[in-house]
Amino acid sequence: MSDTPRETVPVTVLTGYLGAGKTTLLNRILTENHGQKFAVVINEFGELGVDNDLVVDADEEVFEMNNGCICCTVRGDLIRILAGLMKRRDRFDGIIVETTGLADPAPVAQTFFVDEDVKKATRLDSIVTVVDAKHLAQRLNDSREAEGQIAFADLILLNKMDLVSEAEAAVVEEKIRAINPTVEVIRTTNSAAPIASVIGRDAFSLERILAREPDFLSGEDDHEHDSEVNSMSFEVSRPIDPEKFNAWMTELLANKGQDLLRTKGILAYPGEDRRFAFQAVHMIADGDYISPWKPGQERKSRIVFIGRDLNRPQLRRGFEACQVEA
Amino acid sequence: MSEADDIAFLLDSRGVTRDLGAFVVEAAFGRDGRSLHFALGDGTVHGLLAAEPMGDWARVGAHRGAVLALCADAAEGVLSGGDDGRLVQVTAAGEAREVAALGRKWVEHVAAHPAGVRLAAQGRQVHVLNGAGKLLKVLEHPSTVGGVALDAKGKRIAASHYNGASIWYVAASEDKPRRLEWKGSHHAIAFHPDGSHVVTAMQEMSLHGWRLADGQHMRMSGYPAKTHSLSFSAKGRWLATSGADSVVLWPFFGGGPMGKAPTEIAGGDSVICTRVACHPQQEMVAAGFEDGLVLLADIASGRILPVAPPGRGGISALAWNPTGSHLAFGTESGTAGLVDLAKR
Repeated sequence: MSDTPRETVPVTVLTGYLGAGKTTLLNRILTENHGQKFAVVINEFGELGVDNDLVVDADEEVFEMNNGCICCTVRGDLIRILAGLMKRRDRFDGIIVETTGLADPAPVAQTFFVDEDVKKATRLDSIVTVVDAKHLAQRLNDSREAEGQIAFADLILLNKMDLVSEAEAAVVEEKIRAINPTVEVIRTTNSAAPIASVIGRDAFSLERILAREPDFLSGEDDHEHDSEVNSMSFEVSRPIDPEKFNAWMTELLANKGQDLLRTKGILAYPGEDRRFAFQAVHMIADGDYISPWKPGQERKSRIVFIGRDLNRPQLRRGFEACQVEA
Repeated sequence: MSEADDIAFLLDSRGVTRDLGAFVVEAAFGRDGRSLHFALGDGTVHGLLAAEPMGDWARVGAHRGAVLALCADAAEGVLSGGDDGRLVQVTAAGEAREVAALGRKWVEHVAAHPAGVRLAAQGRQVHVLNGAGKLLKVLEHPSTVGGVALDAKGKRIAASHYNGASIWYVAASEDKPRRLEWKGSHHAIAFHPDGSHVVTAMQEMSLHGWRLADGQHMRMSGYPAKTHSLSFSAKGRWLATSGADSVVLWPFFGGGPMGKAPTEIAGGDSVICTRVACHPQQEMVAAGFEDGLVLLADIASGRILPVAPPGRGGISALAWNPTGSHLAFGTESGTAGLVDLAKR
């Protein structure tokens, strides 16, 4: 491999239902005076249109990787387009990929973990989901995609705040947090979010895993809600045995990977000052040592699952059993 | 090849390089070998006369956006496809002439044959044009076309896509493709010189081939990276491929490649081979690597002739002139080079 790894290009993925305010946000990012240039990959030409020098038309061609992993789907068109864009690398600072309202974000995210060429040239900066505060509850009831878009997001713009009361907004935000406890929610009207909060989040770097902590209330955080996608978080105080953890996680992802949308963890290994960060998108996992524990910091290992049909006692017992003997 | 400094590279004594300032997407000589053209990521095509590399290089803006594909045109000059959905001929004198404007999607692959056939792949379609630029037909595929190739006679078209490839006849009155099926995503594609086999490179870092006579499958796997470049040797005995830290050559003789191990040459320093181009007449292969190294290898003996040292950016283009006396290369960081290998 090359001795001098080149700087990778950050890619921001914008998801959300048609009419939620995705294109408005995109145009804000493109027109605001921030000195950055973006290449934009879009799927549908809405009535609004996108005003930018470099706009690429995509097809959302999702295909299965022929590698024995049934849920390992990638966006073939994205692999092609990103390779094409890298031929004029000097013309932009970042890439924004807008998906259709019906898109499952998993294949987009997985493309950045599976394809070697994409990994070499780009990095997934964040998945930003724009939701309509007024209609989200209904969307969650009638579509699987809406849940997926919330589950995968690391930033949600709770948009059209001018159409709801504070009480209504609080209910919607609760629904969002029940699906995705680590997501940051920004309330907006007309998608007016500060660009710095949307671009350059570096949310998929291992260093930033669980930077926003959910309530690790020893598993008693059952929010009553009716959506299919759920989240569960666990915390243990004894160090984690890496071999036990790897064996457990390998089996868990192999058997349950289709239902596990996102898994994130920070682990304390015995006799190791550095924290071990772990993340997975369905079955595709990634992990490495990151910065050390802070002096005096309690070395608690934490893990968050976002998925469908999660079995809380089973997951808790599984994680607890990864601890070294007391 | 780690002690690069001590090796005499042909580029120093017999070559010329220029910095063209943008990613070199492809290099191609015209059919007559007189002109050489480099297609760039900034939409320009730079042309020169192979006999006068120290002279002027003509720069022409061929496409708005990037040039995405380039090949020798059916008759004169080269044919390019680009971001702007256009198919353009660049003449030996460096003049750009629009052949067709096909709409807003990228034209990502082109191919041409002296019999007067030109292909432009755009999205799921392959546009077939004649030498005069007239659109003969549009061939539809089930998903985006990953690569196109014409057989040596210019009669059959092979296009790769998701779950296989399609074979079409240029002159068919009714267009019904022969579908070659294999699960997965296929991109680069090549026809065997005698028209007997079609081989594709796959997303899954392997190759797949079909023997057309009986549809028999060939699986060629074990690559550490994706193969982007496929090249059959002049008489079709070998298929040279990129995607490993050596040049991987599959034997298409003695019953191969089925059940035969490939030959690997020019390996050993863990740098991925990015481009291969077989010599048009002899059993030799030129190879370019991720670190910028270009070399020439004799397939039978494995003997290596260093052409260009590492350091000018990963090799993104390699092309021979028709007689095999000149080798051109281009890099991701915008260097274009030409080496004269003729006997002196």
